[in-house]
This record gives sequence, structure tokens and C-alpha cells, in this order.
Amino acid sequence: MVAVAALLFHWSLPSRLPTEEQYRSVSAILGTEARPGDAVLLYPWWTERVRLFAPPSVSVVGYLGSDRDPLTSFSRIWVLAQPNLPRSDVNAFQRDFLPGRSRLGEPRAFGNLELALYRNELYRPAVFSSVSAVASARVYIETPGAARVECPYDGSAHRCPGSERLRVAAEWHELTFQPRYCLWMRPPGGTRRLVTEFRDLPVGERLVLEAGIVGEYATRTDPSLTTTRVGVADAATGNEILGVSIPRGIEGVRRAERSGSSLPPVVGAKLWIQSDNPTMRDTCVELTSDRAPGGSG
Amino acid sequence: MKSFVSLARSHRDGLVALALFTAAFAVLFATQAPVGFVRDESVYFAAAESYARWFQLLFRDPSNALTDGAIVRAFDFNHEHPALMKILFGLSYLLFHEGLGLLKPAAAFRVPAFAVAALIPALIYLLSASLYDRRVGIWGAISFLLVPRQFFNSHLACFDVPIAAMWLLTVYMFWRAQEKSRGWLWCGLAFGLALATKHNGWFLPWVITPFALWRGWWLTRSSPAGREALYQIVGLFAGVGAQFLVLFASLGPQRFVEKIAPLSPATALAAALVAGSVWLLRRLARASEPAFRALSPLVAMALIGPAIFYLHWPYLWHHPIDRAAWYFEFHATHNHYAWFYLGKVLRAPPFPLEYVVVKTALTVPSSIFVPMALGLGAVVLRGALSLWPKLGSSVERPRFGEVLTAVNAIVPILIISHPDVPHFGGVKHWFAAMPFLAVLGGRSVCRAADFLSATLRARWSALHGWATAGPLIALTCAPALIATARVHPYGTSYYSELAGGLPGAATLGMQRQFWSNNVTAVLPWINDHAPPGTRLWLHEVNGFSFRDYQRNGMLRRDLQPAGGPEDAQMAAYQYHQEFREHEMNIWQSFGTRTPVTGLYLDETPQVIVYRRR
Repeated sequence: MVAVAALLFHWSLPSRLPTEEQYRSVSAILGTEARPGDAVLLYPWWTERVRLFAPPSVSVVGYLGSDRDPLTSFSRIWVLAQPNLPRSDVNAFQRDFLPGRSRLGEPRAFGNLELALYRNELYRPAVFSSVSAVASARVYIETPGAARVECPYDGSAHRCPGSERLRVAAEWHELTFQPRYCLWMRPPGGTRRLVTEFRDLPVGERLVLEAGIVGEYATRTDPSLTTTRVGVADAATGNEILGVSIPRGIEGVRRAERSGSSLPPVVGAKLWIQSDNPTMRDTCVELTSDRAPGGSG
Repeated sequence: MKSFVSLARSHRDGLVALALFTAAFAVLFATQAPVGFVRDESVYFAAAESYARWFQLLFRDPSNALTDGAIVRAFDFNHEHPALMKILFGLSYLLFHEGLGLLKPAAAFRVPAFAVAALIPALIYLLSASLYDRRVGIWGAISFLLVPRQFFNSHLACFDVPIAAMWLLTVYMFWRAQEKSRGWLWCGLAFGLALATKHNGWFLPWVITPFALWRGWWLTRSSPAGREALYQIVGLFAGVGAQFLVLFASLGPQRFVEKIAPLSPATALAAALVAGSVWLLRRLARASEPAFRALSPLVAMALIGPAIFYLHWPYLWHHPIDRAAWYFEFHATHNHYAWFYLGKVLRAPPFPLEYVVVKTALTVPSSIFVPMALGLGAVVLRGALSLWPKLGSSVERPRFGEVLTAVNAIVPILIISHPDVPHFGGVKHWFAAMPFLAVLGGRSVCRAADFLSATLRARWSALHGWATAGPLIALTCAPALIATARVHPYGTSYYSELAGGLPGAATLGMQRQFWSNNVTAVLPWINDHAPPGTRLWLHEVNGFSFRDYQRNGMLRRDLQPAGGPEDAQMAAYQYHQEFREHEMNIWQSFGTRTPVTGLYLDETPQVIVYRRR
């Protein structure tokens, strides 16, 4: 019985896989119907072969845990599913994905690929993004009781004197399997702070600070590693607005936000990072401000 | 009366075993070319070449070659593993590549690996045929190489399949020694080869000792003189062992090692053990020849095994104790590497207790795994039920050989299952269990065939035993054959039907591949598309492997190895859950998130190639 079932499995498996032609059909639809800024969410999350075919204008999202990603920066989401793959469970996916989403039109099947468009009701229009504004920011190392050390912008990064790692730049990095486009910031060590100062910081409904240690370093628990502190301060008054701390061994994103009436009137902000021991404390930082959900679809 | 071991000794069985060996060797040789060079293998290639050069020096200038300086120059590289297989790889390279010019370097290095791997089907057949019948042997022999991960590893100039072969050989020789008066010698030699292959061999005495002692005790139940000699042998080993422990405890590990010299208490104890063992074994032989056959393999293992370990490895010749101590220390404190398992990246102990069993169930083709599990379960169940007084008479008590097989099917799995033992490396670290599981699996299949035959004989009385066994063997092996053919040469990516194949395993959150060899899939594309002199970063592929791909004509020689995406123009990323940051570094450095090609096995991303914009 087992052998017969196994033979049936092998006999049927090739017919459950998509062909290149099916991918090209999906790509053609995305090429004509997707708007700049749309996302393609993969189910199962690991079916990344579509990256070979997808138009560059759409962001392909698929990582361990992406089923539950609110994808707040995307107003529309194309779900590209492969429901015929072994162990695919579309119902389980939809339990995670559907809350806060409404389907726009009927799903379309291209052989073993199924494409469906959703309006993302969790979408929050961005007012400010540290990643977008980094080029115009001022970056320096701040030492208590000493002069600031400037980190000039060279067109791709603000580079501080000394280590190549002492820079601030918008880069792709991993936080617990999730690709994030964020500010690379590494603490200079001791009591010194690496500061990215934004002169204009338009504030919407809320202000969000997210930070995490990059890649495998987040998992390290060596006693010599020290807590990393990331904060946002009012550039004019120095008052602390937001802050997170990342002790050693903590994976993923640490998050702090202020919204509504708790938001102070801010004109400029200092985004800073500090850790006594900078070893393996490479940090991916995002400071964003956005409006409430309910935007365009 | 049926003999205790009832060994398959017929000329025909020998021929069948030889045929299995030859066929396995031929298949491995014929399918080796596309198999990539796993990270460790290229290191072993380099070590093997270094060791082979020392043998050339030995013939040219023996007095120089035998100095510690010359030995260290040749053998210091990769001294975390004994030298036997690497010496064979190196000599094969000298013969088939440099001498005869018949083979490319990699194939020449690998020839001994094929030969040692091919021993496994032959030995499975001989053990199964003697324990059960020939049909069991055929199923066990064929099924071993139809497990895709075992088939893949059998190609490699590494040690995981060789130690499985040597483990099986030692157990088989112990089994044979129960009837052969000089079987002890072969058992001791086989154990020595196991020690010279990989450190797993040091666990073998723990498996074999209970069987030897129990059998010796049982066989001397009516021989007081034999029983007395048996007790004296046990007492001698226990006494010497206790004194070593006292020395170790009183001196501490460091001084214990330093104090061992030609004229030292430790050496005197070892000499007393050798002399006492020989003398007492002669007494036992006079009192009870069968008990001698039970005990003598064990004593031979104790005396011959370490001697071969020392003699085969020139690195130990001038400093045996401290260098051996380093070797044991290295393996006792081995690093842990990240490993993706059921949606979690395992990085450090404690590891899940069920890991090995789950991983085996998900990586052995189901039509092979189920008979194995049933076969093992049947022996365990019969053993348990036979201890029950009310059922004891109605249940067939497992025979000595069956228990020996079952214990050897379990122990390698138990060793790796310990939550503190490193869990990386897929399934290769418990390969030693798989030949024994194959024997028990074959027994299950043949029992099913017998049941079918008995049912059919009501209608066709002249039905031959093979008439049902043949089709059943073919049926159970066919899915594994298809799976092996589909996944080759990417064996470390294979997952069984129970997992849902590779796509099902990816959804389950299982490690997609390891050891970097899958890169071979994209090398032809890179060769065709990379501009001359391109700086190429092959993620996870070490410098030795990069060189070997070029040396074996699989990668263009003008391509330059890059240290990372920052200084590369083209990159091939190997999908590992713990290495996601590396792919993002490529996106960042190359200014694109769109791959240009890749290896997607049944849709699962394995190797993804990017080109700088």
C-alpha cells in the first residue's frame, strides 16, 4: 500500500508543479495590471522562482512568516499561490492573510499558479521614512563632552572615519528571515552615539521606531556582547521621543511607537544608536511616520 | 542441526555478494561525474594529495620521510580525522590520475570511496542471507543504495559511508567469528579499520561487548573451567580499566597524557593486559571452544584495533599520546552548526530528542522506511513479549543475530539523538544504523511475500518463494529508484513521500540542502554567460572546492574567486535559512533583487544566481 501510494506520489508530482510558460503568463498579467508599489505575496512563502519572471516594478514578498505580514506600505497585494503543491494548505494561509484584506475580482488560474488581487486595508500611507530621507540627513558621532565627528555622505552612505562598518546607509538586511530595507547603523562603542539627524520630520498619525540586530548576530549570547540602545530625540530640545533596547540574544524587530495626541510637535529629530561593545551589534533601523489605514485602494 | 550462525557460505552466495559489490561499484562510478564537491570533500582531496606525496617521499628518501618533521608537513593538514581513507584516496589519485592518466582528479580520488561503499550491499546480503534468507539480502542490498541521501554520500571521498561500511564489517566479522575458529582475527582487523576510518568506530565495543559477554556466559553454563576463565578475562579488563581510571583521576587529563612513556605504569598495565588476555584466552579455548569464539573477537578488538589505529596514521608515530588526546578532545568538543528543522533554526543544544527519528522518516523513501520500521518494531516487540511469562512460549524469541542486528540499527541513532550531540549534517552521522535497518526492512518485505505466497498457494500450489517476493521487492524499491533518479546529483536535498517531497519539506520548514555541492547545477550557465575574468562568489563553496571545479573542468579557469558579494560581479547564493543575510548582501551589493538563473528542485529554491547591474 505504501509503495503504491509512493508511486502515485511520484507519478503525480510533476503535474503539480508550474511550468515556465505559466510563470510567463503570470508575469504578463503583472506587467500590464500591477501598479508601481504593488506587492506580490507568495504562498507557500518559499516559492521564489517567480522572482526570475516578475516585472521589477513589483515587490515580491516571501519569507518564513510572510503570511502574517501586514505589508502596511502596500495598498494592493497580488497573492500568487501554488495550491497543488504537496502540503499546501490555502485555507490555513487565508486564515492568516485575509483579516484586513478584501479581494478585488476573481482569482485567475495559470495551470498550477493562482493569482488573486487584494486591497490591503492595513495599508498606511507613509509621511516620512528614514530610508527615503537618509541622503539629506546629517550623520555624526557624538561623544559626551567632546566635539562631534562628522560622517560625510558620499552618494551612497554617510561614512565615519575609521571602520568601514561605521556608516549610515539605506540597505537590504535580514531580521529573523525577513528582508528589510532599512538604515544600517552600527554603534561606535563606549558611550559614544552614532546619530542620524533629520532636519525636517513630517509627522502623520503615528511615529514608529523599529530596530533589530542584523542576521545571525542577533542570536549570539556571548557575555561580552552588550545591550544596544536605539532612540529618537527632538533635535531642538533633546527630549527623548521614542526608544528601544536590544539585549544580546534577542532576534527580530524591537518596536516603539507614539500616535495621536501623545505625539509631540517635532520639527527635527535625532535618530541615535549606542552600545558599549559594538562587536556584532550591526543594526537595521527604521524610523517612519504614516497616516491611519483606510487610504486608497 | 542448524548451526548457530547458519552462515551463507555457499559458492552461490559468494557470487551474489560479488555481483552486488561489482554492480554497486559500477553504478557509483557511472554516476559520479555530476556530483559536486562538498565542502569537506575538497579538504580531504587536498589532505589525500598531501599524504600521497609523503608516500612518494617514503619511497624516494625513507629516512627523511620517517622524521617527525616530514610527517607533520604531510599529515598535519586535516589531522582531526584518521588517515586510512585519505591515504587510499591519495594513492588512487597517484595511480589513476597522475600515473595512468585514466581519470580526472576527483574521480581518481573517489575510486576507493566507491569500493568501500560497494562493500555495504555485499555485506548486507551476506548478513541477511545468513540470518534470514537470500530474498531479504537482495532487498536489503538494493534498498541501501536506493535511499537518495545514501546513494549521494556513497559517491563522496568522505568518511560517513566508509564508517558505515566498517561498522557493518566489524559486526559481520563478530557474527562470523561465532563459528570460525580464527574469526577473532578478522573481527579485530575490521575494528582497526573502523577506528582508522572515523571516530564513530570507538563506539563499536560498547555495542559488541554485551553480546560477547552474554554469549560467553551462556556457553560456559556447563563448563566451570570455562566460566572461571571467562570471569578472569572480565576481571583482567575491569582491573586494568579501573587502574587506568585511578591514574587518570589522580593525575588529571593533562598529566595523565604527559606521564605515558615506554617505561611508565600505564605502559606496564597495557602490557599486562595483552599478556594476560592471551594467556587467559588460551585457557578459555581449552575449556570451551564456543566460549572462546564469543570472547576472542572482543579481546582482538581491544588489542588489534588500537594497534591499527596507531600504525596506519604516521601522524601518531612520534607523539602517539598527545596527538591522539588532541584528536579525542576535538571530537568531544565539536562545534555546533545551524540547522533548519520544522520551521526553527537549531543553533545550540539541547536539540529535540526526536530529531533523528523524524529526520530519518522524512528522508528515507517511505516504501523503504516503513518496512525498516516494521522490521525493527517486530524484533523489539517479539523481544518484549517473549519476556512475558504467559506469552513467552507462543512468541518466537528473537535470535542472537536478530538482536545484534536490531541493537546496531538503534545505537547509532541513539548516539546522535542525545540532545547535546551536534545535529548538523543531515542524516550522514547515523548512516551506520542504515545497513542494519535494511536487513530488518528486508525481513518485513519477505514476511509479507511469504504471507502472500501462503494465500496464493491455495490456488497455485507450485508457487515459488520468489514469485511473490520478486514483485514485492520491485514494487517497494521502484518509488525509491524514481526518487533517486529524479534528485541525483542533489542528494542532500531529498525528502520522502511522507514529507511531501522537496516542496512538502520546504513547507514543513526543513533544511533544504547543505554542503554546497548543488552549485554544480548553475556552473554550466555561469561558464556560458560570465565575461572573461569575472570575479565570481560561490556562496558556501570553499576555496578548495572552487579550485577543484576548475581543475576538473566544471568551471572555467579564467573565472576568479571572490571573497564576497562586495568584490564580485556574479554570485551564486545557496539557500540556507540561517544565511538569508548573505542573499540580502548580494541584493545590496549588486543593486538588484532579480536573479538571472537558479536551481529550483521541484520548485524549491536551492541555488540562486545574481549578476551585478
